[in-house]
Amino acid sequence: MTTETLTAPSNAVAARRRRTFGSDVSASGEPAQWALGGALALGIVLIAGFLLLVFWNGVATFFPKPIVALTLTDGSTIAGPIRRSEEFRVPPNELASLPPPVQALIRDDGGMAERQLIQIGNFDLYNEDFRWVPSYLVAGASRPRDLVLMERLEWGPFVGRVKQVVEDGRPLADGDPLPTGLDAVHRKARDRWQQIRRIERGDIGVVNHDIDGIRLEVRRLELRHGPDHERVVAARRAAEPELARLRTQYDTLAAEARRLRQEDARTTITLADTGGREKSMRLSEITRFVPANDLSLLGALGVYFDRWGEFLADEPREANTEGGVMPAIFGTFVMTLMMVLVVAPFGVLTALYLREYARQGRIVAIVRISVNNLAGVPSIVYGVFGVGFFAYLVGGSIDQWFYAERLPSPTFGTGGILWASLTLALLTVPVVIVATEEALSAVPRSVREGSLACGASKWQTIKYIVLPRALPGIMTGLILAMARGAGEVAPLMLVGVVKLAPELPMDGFFPFIHLERSFMHLGFHIYDVGFQSRNSEAGKPMVFVTTMLLIGLIFVMNLAAIVIRNRLKRKFVGAQF
Amino acid sequence: MTEIRSGRARATAYVRPKQTSRAVRYADKAADIVVTVGGLFVILAVAGIMIFLVQVVVPLFTGGSLNESREYTLQRPEGASLAILTDDTNVLAVEVLASGKTRAVHLPTGTVLASPTIDLGGQKITAFSKSIRSDDFAVGFADGTVRFGQIGTRSTLIKASDLPPNLVRLNDLDQTDGEAVFHRRDAEQFQRTTFSVILNEPQAVAPAGRAIAQLDYRVGGTVERPTRSFLTKDGDNVLRLTRAETRVNLLTRRETTTLESATLPAMSGSGTIIGALMTAQADQVYVARENGEVLRFDTRDLGVPKLIETRRLTADGVALTTIGFLIGEQAIVVGGSDGSVNVFFRVEDAAAGTSDGHTLKLAHELERQRAPIRAIAASARNKAFATADATGVIWVRHSTSARVLMKLGESSRTEVASIGLSPRNDGVVASDASGRLRFWAIDIPHPETTLQTIFGKVWYEGFPEPAFTWQSSSGNDEFEPKLSLVPLIFGTIKATVYALLFAVPIALAAAIFTSQFVHHSVRAVVKPAMEMMASLPSVVLGFIAALILAPIVESFIAAVVLVFIALPMSLFAAAYLWQLLPPASALRWDGLPKFMFMFVVLFSGCWLSYAAAPGFEAVFFAGDFRSWVNGTAGSGRPFLVLLLLPAGFLAASALVRRALNGAMRDRVRQLGRTRAGLVDGLCWLLTLVAGAIVAFVLAYVFTAAGWDPRGGVLDTYVQRNTFVVGLAMGFAVIPIIYTIAEDAMSAVPEHLRAASLACGASPWQTATRVIIPTAVSGIFAAIMIGMGRAVGETMIVVMAAGNTPILDWNVFNGLRALSANIAVELPEAVVGSTLCRMLFLAALALFVMTFVLNTIAELIRQRFRRRAVQL
Repeated sequence: MTTETLTAPSNAVAARRRRTFGSDVSASGEPAQWALGGALALGIVLIAGFLLLVFWNGVATFFPKPIVALTLTDGSTIAGPIRRSEEFRVPPNELASLPPPVQALIRDDGGMAERQLIQIGNFDLYNEDFRWVPSYLVAGASRPRDLVLMERLEWGPFVGRVKQVVEDGRPLADGDPLPTGLDAVHRKARDRWQQIRRIERGDIGVVNHDIDGIRLEVRRLELRHGPDHERVVAARRAAEPELARLRTQYDTLAAEARRLRQEDARTTITLADTGGREKSMRLSEITRFVPANDLSLLGALGVYFDRWGEFLADEPREANTEGGVMPAIFGTFVMTLMMVLVVAPFGVLTALYLREYARQGRIVAIVRISVNNLAGVPSIVYGVFGVGFFAYLVGGSIDQWFYAERLPSPTFGTGGILWASLTLALLTVPVVIVATEEALSAVPRSVREGSLACGASKWQTIKYIVLPRALPGIMTGLILAMARGAGEVAPLMLVGVVKLAPELPMDGFFPFIHLERSFMHLGFHIYDVGFQSRNSEAGKPMVFVTTMLLIGLIFVMNLAAIVIRNRLKRKFVGAQF
Repeated sequence: MTEIRSGRARATAYVRPKQTSRAVRYADKAADIVVTVGGLFVILAVAGIMIFLVQVVVPLFTGGSLNESREYTLQRPEGASLAILTDDTNVLAVEVLASGKTRAVHLPTGTVLASPTIDLGGQKITAFSKSIRSDDFAVGFADGTVRFGQIGTRSTLIKASDLPPNLVRLNDLDQTDGEAVFHRRDAEQFQRTTFSVILNEPQAVAPAGRAIAQLDYRVGGTVERPTRSFLTKDGDNVLRLTRAETRVNLLTRRETTTLESATLPAMSGSGTIIGALMTAQADQVYVARENGEVLRFDTRDLGVPKLIETRRLTADGVALTTIGFLIGEQAIVVGGSDGSVNVFFRVEDAAAGTSDGHTLKLAHELERQRAPIRAIAASARNKAFATADATGVIWVRHSTSARVLMKLGESSRTEVASIGLSPRNDGVVASDASGRLRFWAIDIPHPETTLQTIFGKVWYEGFPEPAFTWQSSSGNDEFEPKLSLVPLIFGTIKATVYALLFAVPIALAAAIFTSQFVHHSVRAVVKPAMEMMASLPSVVLGFIAALILAPIVESFIAAVVLVFIALPMSLFAAAYLWQLLPPASALRWDGLPKFMFMFVVLFSGCWLSYAAAPGFEAVFFAGDFRSWVNGTAGSGRPFLVLLLLPAGFLAASALVRRALNGAMRDRVRQLGRTRAGLVDGLCWLLTLVAGAIVAFVLAYVFTAAGWDPRGGVLDTYVQRNTFVVGLAMGFAVIPIIYTIAEDAMSAVPEHLRAASLACGASPWQTATRVIIPTAVSGIFAAIMIGMGRAVGETMIVVMAAGNTPILDWNVFNGLRALSANIAVELPEAVVGSTLCRMLFLAALALFVMTFVLNTIAELIRQRFRRRAVQL
């Protein structure tokens, strides 16, 4: 090369000159640029598609869908809202059983045909909720106005017609499509049902709780003094009248509930499916009438928002596939809140220690790397630690010392909301530490030195100068930790989340906040309904709505983090030397 | 001046005290302490996680401990000892003697209690057999008769108030009425333990006068249809097998028993018969001879029992001294005169040349004892057993882990007469002819785990060879948990690899594009959006993957495969078309419009793959992907062409570049932009065609050589498979890799970039030759952190991976990852059990894996940061 330059310098110069004027296509790397850009576009499309899918399904779920009545080629009819439709490959043996013209049509389509998933409901009559109906089996379709979808307490929805409603033995006059006056009668029946539930769950629950409390008190004395000690005997005797009073109270309440139930049983409804099969039940068992083919837009919107209300404010029914998610929202909220209460002071303290107090050296560098790494340790590992250390070891010891009278059924010795929030606090503490440290290090040295030079002590400097300026960063870290904590499911599966919690972690009984109770969680709700339920198809809409709720919650938190960061940043702009 | 000197009091201004106020000092001190203590506490807590996990896991490997050992010298027994049993709380041991007498001993104190004598009508027991798991036993007599019955200890719980009066105190916990032991459980409950024996009427088996010398008795079948089988050997070495099946008529409740009997064929060769074993179904009989030979008979058809094989199970010159089954009756323990203890399995082996295609194979060679083995006692709960040698030393062993758990006793002259392992594996009793009774209370919580069984291949019963297996539970009582972490670690690695294969190219490409080719206003929107995606709950991704994505991928698999080819191809094609644009338009539409065009190309690529999928499937996958991938339809050649296409393309483009170098290149440069672009595009097309031809030729050659792309990475399709997991997990990992890589590239000092551009390099040249080399360590760290997240990801694998613990690389099959396994099994695991501790070990393994990955990433990243600052 050197020889070339030496022998023919003019050539090289010429080549260089030509290069400046020529257009070298390979230099711009157009194909590679497109590949890179395509990857980014793909990433964006994937994310947008994902969000759109969740959002669309979540928003559309509660909107009443028209009920289609299909007449099949064998003469039978089925009815129900159409869930979705798809192309499918007709199995060979089924294809062979079809009439030749249909066969020819399918063959022309490459062996594919279309089918629709109909939510036929009426599980108690058909033993299935959904049915795939291939288009070649459909002889005709219509949307009769009198078909009604009825949401029930049990057995899933009923699709069919209302034959008759009997109130206290008097049948209601027929209407179109629902009997006249049904609304008022139904509301009354539902109110009665609510009342029964209030008595059975609320009032009787209080009595049971009191009886249990007395039993536990006696048992505690027994454990302390032995079964035949005079104090135990005295306590037993003292408890007798109280117990008797509670028992009478219980009997009164139970009698009241029984009376209401009998009254309730006198208001019935008779339903008929499209094939004419009838089914009678108590009116109060039906939660909602949706005459989907007879609804105006306003009526449809009414049903839509009513369903949203139920979803947000009610308890789940039917193995979580229907009803609401209020306990799950509450559980997620309380757990995240408790987690923040733990993680905020400890995370900030640690960061302060690492950044302001510890001598910067090799050890602190190692600690910092480990803390950083802990943010990457799988959440399930924290779950395992939580159940092993908090629940079994710490909780087990607490039970032995303070709740011996309840053993062998564990109080703190099993998963619960306290252990879950502590586990998540441990999981998210690195996030807070890292964020806080970054925020602390961003406070200019000059500000600190200025404060110290004015005679402030170290703590005064931190309290009045450093912390306020680092606050945006700390807040961001905390909110990010909350977002991460709220979306985490794997560790919770081990430390206290359940599919259906009988009691909320907060109620009216002393001490009002029950840290040992297991709880429900939105993320686990998704897993449970999507995977553990009898029919994942029936639960799918519910899962989508829950998913939307959870994602929305987390995005709101993230957005809040960003907004707070920006706002506080602006506040301190120019506050530097 | 003078004023001041004269006195302070006259100072004109207020002088602040020079001392810091006490409150401030105390606050400072307190803050100091609180911050230090709090900070150290959190750091300790974090370190404590690892310590705690280790502490839970350690007992898996520590073996057993001896809690107490006792030795009593009792009266010399009348007659030979046949067996010794204990109850499950280790308070009572009962020895059965040949005379029919029994001897019950309170184990903690050595007190001899009254015990019943079995009424044998004056006869002497010549052979004794008791089943391992139940109380059923059989005895044979000198007159050729056999009697069956039940022998064992009975325990009942009674209240303290119901205790009989006049009890004699044995020790702090135990009292006796002379016969039964009352063991205090807690303040209110006692456990009453007695010994009981029931013996049925004699049944003649051998011809009168021929003593029964060996006996093996099994109870099998179901509760409704129990079968009792026994094998007898009489004094003439005639082996007789009898099977009794009892059926209960459901209507009349009457029992009918059918008896079948067979005499085993006469055995060739000589040698004293040491023992005879039979399975519960009575379909296999093993006869062991002193010379080490074991004869195996097939007795499925009782009419024609067949000798299947004769194998020598001891080394040359070593006599066989004892033989016995472990529970499950699949493993045979053979003790030799050299102290060897080996476990044999009957396994399927067509090469062995036996008529039933099975043969006995040495599965576990255990540590050798110093003296000939005299007795074996199998555990009733797992694969543990105890062996006693001629000097009275007893070793407790475990078959599967081939471990010696405990070494008990010291060698002495007196031989052990019988040994027994207590029902809960927590005690060993041994009696000898001199009347000495020894008892050891032992505790072996996890006999089945060693590093070898967890991370190595283990030969389990019923397996043809050693294997890595994870199967922690089953409905069967005799089931042995198979706890190898290897399939789970493999599953984790498999999921991670496929996820990264999908995520890394997309994430890195997107990061490069964002940091180098996009206007900063676009970047300001795209980057936070991607960051937000990193906090998306994985349970949501898992749900979408399993319930939405998996069915879609399943029904459009050909289109999905095609997308991976069509997208890059259409992007490249679009790029070459873009080069044909006049320079002015290309410049005008650079930036955002170009980016928008990329979206258009992307969508058309997807649509193209959807539309072309049937044709693609017909050409490459014989019309049906799923049967093609099974290997049941079509040939692998077309797909092989596709696989080799990139290689062919690279080869062809290398050739083309070499051929066109120099003169041609200069000439192209002078053509002007549009025409140069045309030449470039044509060149690409030609290279593609050439590459296809190369790939085609190569595929022919490979197929001719018998290589098929199916089997291995591509195999049978399952709906919840690694492919779907890879997509979903890739989706979870993309934002993380993207963000960190983008940060690394943005952190490259701006002056480097400016300098490169100023020297005339195009943005593309700047990116590939300046930015990426500088940021490479940061990019590497991004990949490592992404890998860490993929390794620990739980919900996606739980939901979408099918959870089958298998070892294969098939993309279309499921997997079971460490994390998913913990999430699924830990809620059901019993606290403190081996499974529970194994799951903690799995968590520890995950912890260590991610910690190492993240530490490496962090170190690299810090180094990169330091370098970037220096630049």
